[in-house]
Amino acid sequence: MATHETDVCIIGGGITSAMLAERLSELRPGIRIIVVEAGRSIFDTRNRGRYRERAMQYGEHPWPEDYIEDQQADGIISLTMAVGGLALHWGGACNRFSEEDLRLKSIYGLATDWPIEWRELERYYCDAERRLNVSGEPSPHPEDHRSEPYPQGPIPLSYNLQILKAWAEKSGLKFSPLPMARNLTPFGGRDGCCVYDTCGEVCPSGARYSPDFTFRQLMAPKKIELHDKTLVRRLVVDERRPTIAAAQAVHQDRPNDPIEYRAKTFVVASGYCWSSHLLLLSTSARFPNGLANSSGLVGRYMNGHRFMQATANIDDQTFPGQNMTHSLISREFFRCPGDKPFVRHDTRVWESAAGREPRLRTPEGKLLMGDELLNDWRSRTKGSSVRLRAYIDVHPSADSRLTLDPSKKNRHGDPMPKIEHRFDEPTLARKAATEAHVSGVFERLAKASNGRIVATSQGDYLDHPAGGCRMGVDPATSVCDSHGRTHDHENLFVVGAPTMPTGGCTNGTLTFVALTLRSAVAIADASRV
Amino acid sequence: MKRRTLLQRAAAIVAMVPFDRIRMFAQPRELTPEAIATLHAVAATVLPASLGDAKIRDVADRFVGWTRGYREGVALAHGYGHPRLVKSAQSPAPRYIRQLAALDASSKSRGAGWLALDLETRRAIIDAALVEAGVRALPPRPLGEHVVADLMAFYFRSSEANDLAYRALINREVCRPIAITTRKPAAL
Repeated sequence: MATHETDVCIIGGGITSAMLAERLSELRPGIRIIVVEAGRSIFDTRNRGRYRERAMQYGEHPWPEDYIEDQQADGIISLTMAVGGLALHWGGACNRFSEEDLRLKSIYGLATDWPIEWRELERYYCDAERRLNVSGEPSPHPEDHRSEPYPQGPIPLSYNLQILKAWAEKSGLKFSPLPMARNLTPFGGRDGCCVYDTCGEVCPSGARYSPDFTFRQLMAPKKIELHDKTLVRRLVVDERRPTIAAAQAVHQDRPNDPIEYRAKTFVVASGYCWSSHLLLLSTSARFPNGLANSSGLVGRYMNGHRFMQATANIDDQTFPGQNMTHSLISREFFRCPGDKPFVRHDTRVWESAAGREPRLRTPEGKLLMGDELLNDWRSRTKGSSVRLRAYIDVHPSADSRLTLDPSKKNRHGDPMPKIEHRFDEPTLARKAATEAHVSGVFERLAKASNGRIVATSQGDYLDHPAGGCRMGVDPATSVCDSHGRTHDHENLFVVGAPTMPTGGCTNGTLTFVALTLRSAVAIADASRV
Repeated sequence: MKRRTLLQRAAAIVAMVPFDRIRMFAQPRELTPEAIATLHAVAATVLPASLGDAKIRDVADRFVGWTRGYREGVALAHGYGHPRLVKSAQSPAPRYIRQLAALDASSKSRGAGWLALDLETRRAIIDAALVEAGVRALPPRPLGEHVVADLMAFYFRSSEANDLAYRALINREVCRPIAITTRKPAAL
């Protein structure tokens, strides 16, 4: 058996792992850090342009072999398992939550409060934005006060978004350019944006942040060791104390040669799914329900946000294709007056070509060919389609769970996870009113400029999933403290998405990173021991 | 070696041959010259004549290149929300060849070459072929169901066609300075 000794062993190679490794190497220069990732490294930046072309022309996945075929979960939102994680192909949206997210219980009597003060978290938001080089514009709402400016000004609004902003603001709502982790000029070894407009698939220039850049920058001066294609299957507890002694792993290419990692501190940075999964898998006679699970809450309170979306037709003319991955955001409904029914959501606006695309047949069924098709298309390009979406604050019940599914096992015989989201009673009770409110906002936007809603739909999954190892003060009702240190094992931390008690009403990645940067301080201290 | 033993061994070897694979590898991965000739003729019908003959020929040639560049068994985009691992199917080239041959045969059965047929006859032939192939709408990109639908998707889903439809230089998904996008696209 190969054994590796280190100060900090980070399990998982996504965005929170990258940020944690970077911050730890700053807080404690010389600290030994090993990052263990089950998937492979895809560090061939030079090929990204080609991958993008293949994706566009042939529908091929732009991150070759970024998955492990037998390491998948029911209820997961992406198959990606590689160095960089889901942030290889995120859109780069970097919205902050608001203070209300941390005070749901205190303000509204709902769900639970986070064990963090907003003013403290805000400092870490600033740090996260610096590291990701977020481009943004201060919110027009004074409650969204920032202690530091964005590191970059906003992404310039395309002509289309300028038109749509003027349209949307006729409704009385205020809109801003979406803050994004997208370089306007070269930064951090990455180029500036040149509007390939495939941020959510692959960014050939690297302008949209992805963690592979950070890992490479940490590996070159040997600040970290990255062990990819290495699946951690179990954490093992010390025989005498409730501390973690080792992580047992196996390399994809050498499955018969187990690997053991011994560290002062172990950090599970494996995202919303695989973090709980690893803790639940790590059973023993002393811990028959897995690790960090004396509360029985590992894998519970899985969260995220629901979403509703709509397409509006308006009279103003836009030209779809200018910058389709950028959008406008309104934070108007991040706050809910205490005397009104509870509803919180963001509101987003994108340019769209929906309903204005080339079509093969007329509504009567006649086949269109050549110039007929082109002319039919042209006749439908007048005015604009607008894509609207709202991420809605919903709260999980304890039965919103990740469990081990004994019917699905990987090649090593480990049961794979199954995620089933459930809402708490108040969320279910207000569902109809929430939907009516959001539909009303969409209608209000459309009508403000002779527009009309032509299609509305609801997402059938929770976006930006989180939870499973929720943080809290009370060990009976939470898995870890506000720094991610598990209540049961002093040298075991969980960071990022899994620690969030609730999923907010806007993209979560910036919050995952901010929480992780805050955890880094405690982890650096812990690894001095 | 006894004759019976020799025959038994030969039979065993034959039994081990993966005929399915051989059949797959025996399939053409590229369009034949005859198929390409029919494709060019059909392209003049289904692509906008306003592009001009040279442009139409160029689009058809690039589509032939697309067919040549197709890779089998490659993971397709997994999707987000409800991801699924799906791999690319066998090359569409053999199907395209059959479909183009069928279009050619249809025109000849009417006593004329493709371009000598009147527009409504050509439309009827293509319509029937698309219906038979189960194509109801313009695919988002070539999907291998029918060569005509795929050729049309190849062009009409392009940034270039988008510009033509909007009569503006939008350059969708073309690398360009971000400042350009802040201005109204220049008219074509």
